Amino acid sequence: MHISSLTVTNFRNITTQRFEFLRGINILFGDNGSGKTNLLEAIFVLLLGRSHRGASDNYMVRSECDVYRIEGEIITDNKSIEVAVAYQRSERKKITIDKVTSRIQELYEIFCVVSAGPEDSAILSGAPSTRRGFVDIYLSQISRKYLDDLSNYQKVLSQKNAALKNEMDPGPFNALLVTYGCRIMSNRITFLDEVASLTREFYREISGGGNLNLTYQPSIGGLEEDRSPEGLQQRFERRLSDSRHREQVMHTSLVGPHRDDIHFEIEGLPARQHASQGEWRTGAIALKLAVYQILKEKRESEPILLLDEIFAELDEKRIHGLIDAFGGFGQLFLTTAVEPPSRMKENSRRFQIAGGAVEGIA
Amino acid sequence: MFKSAASVEKLANRLARLPGIGRKTANRLAFHILKLSQEEAYELSDIIREVKDKVGFCSICFNISESDPCQICASPSRQKSIICVVEETSDAAAIDKVEGFNGLFHILGGRLSPLDGIGPDDLKTRELLDRINSDVTEIIIATNPNVEGEATAIYLSRLLKPLGVKVTRIARGLPVGSDLEYADSVTLGRAIDGRQEF
Ligand SMILES: [Zn+2]
Repeated sequence: MHISSLTVTNFRNITTQRFEFLRGINILFGDNGSGKTNLLEAIFVLLLGRSHRGASDNYMVRSECDVYRIEGEIITDNKSIEVAVAYQRSERKKITIDKVTSRIQELYEIFCVVSAGPEDSAILSGAPSTRRGFVDIYLSQISRKYLDDLSNYQKVLSQKNAALKNEMDPGPFNALLVTYGCRIMSNRITFLDEVASLTREFYREISGGGNLNLTYQPSIGGLEEDRSPEGLQQRFERRLSDSRHREQVMHTSLVGPHRDDIHFEIEGLPARQHASQGEWRTGAIALKLAVYQILKEKRESEPILLLDEIFAELDEKRIHGLIDAFGGFGQLFLTTAVEPPSRMKENSRRFQIAGGAVEGIA
Repeated sequence: MFKSAASVEKLANRLARLPGIGRKTANRLAFHILKLSQEEAYELSDIIREVKDKVGFCSICFNISESDPCQICASPSRQKSIICVVEETSDAAAIDKVEGFNGLFHILGGRLSPLDGIGPDDLKTRELLDRINSDVTEIIIATNPNVEGEATAIYLSRLLKPLGVKVTRIARGLPVGSDLEYADSVTLGRAIDGRQEF
């Protein structure tokens, strides 16, 4: 799968710009604030309909403009697909695939993308919602059913919260919360097991012998005792009935996958409080390598890879380790303000970016 | 000129309050009505009057009807032991076309949706309970297969089961005449989940 051309209009600091990309490595070279990361973001929006750094659509429309539009031609299985994502302020985002209006879920079924960049440190250091966001965006690319369960779970959750606020019986919504919630948790268990063991290996490799552990912590707890679907259901139901009174008083849902977390440990200590910035970044890169590997295997094709300034803080040896680890990647987009390692220059096209526009191509 | 524009605006405002009609559509409809012949326009307003005067709700099943009870509830050939519960009149009409269903209906008049302020008391649930007697052997819950419809189904089944009546839920699956190959994965997944024993 690769993007052959892209047209970006009124997105962040980009007025309008067309690109012809290489199937191999595309280097976006430019200073901070040149707009090279915005370009990566536009690619992510084109492929999955949302920002890789969690920005809202209103925020991504170029200032004093009303509409952003991203169009691209993507080659997958020797077929060419035309995709367009357009957003008009305070309207719904419009997605078309081959000129047919489509739902965001359809993008997840066709495309596959992994991004890695400075914002990833927050997966280790930030709030639980960042960690859930990370799981959801990549697990949804593996399982369409997960994405559907997630969207239904969200609907049930807002209905339940409204019921609690209006002092109605949330009972029927609790039953649905358990149905969708248990499927979400089962999927997260399997996915995070795989992510954990691969991340551990990659972290050891990149850090030169370091030790990283991650464990899934569902809000219903007790994963060490029983992780069978029946066990999850029983515990979820019990936790819901235990917290019924508190939920009624606080007018909000207190247990379920929307409160899940992942616990990271580096050298045996909780990473959020005890790790250094360098360890967070290395951990995040190891995590993304793991996800890349899993997606590649499950989707049976190379995901499009977006690397934002990942060489800035790594030495030559680690960079080579990283390139080896990503080995056999398909299409790669790479932003950098410094000369990229020489091995990255083979089979590459270089775009000189400044002020949201291309100044030169080499 | 300005006076008539004000009354057109009043009409557009009133039309915009109808469900599913946005500002733009309301304006278009108002100007369309303005362009109708006097005869056509009066006919439209007469039909609205007639509907309001003649059509009401069946006091048993809450279907719209020109008589009370409605034709279905009054019919001697209907199977009185089965009641099919639906959200809206249009759902009952769709199911009534199905060959093989000859039971009665109960129209809830909506579905549970706390986000829209709709709770059990806003639906015809108490009236449904009042209809359960020894003649009724099965309640088919045919609410929509979305989050609100499912929640309504769960609520009703919890309410009805203690009364000893058999409660069933319509299966969700593939539309007849569709090819497995072309079914979307959600529908297919539901068809697998909702499989039944031969
Ligand atoms: Zn009736």
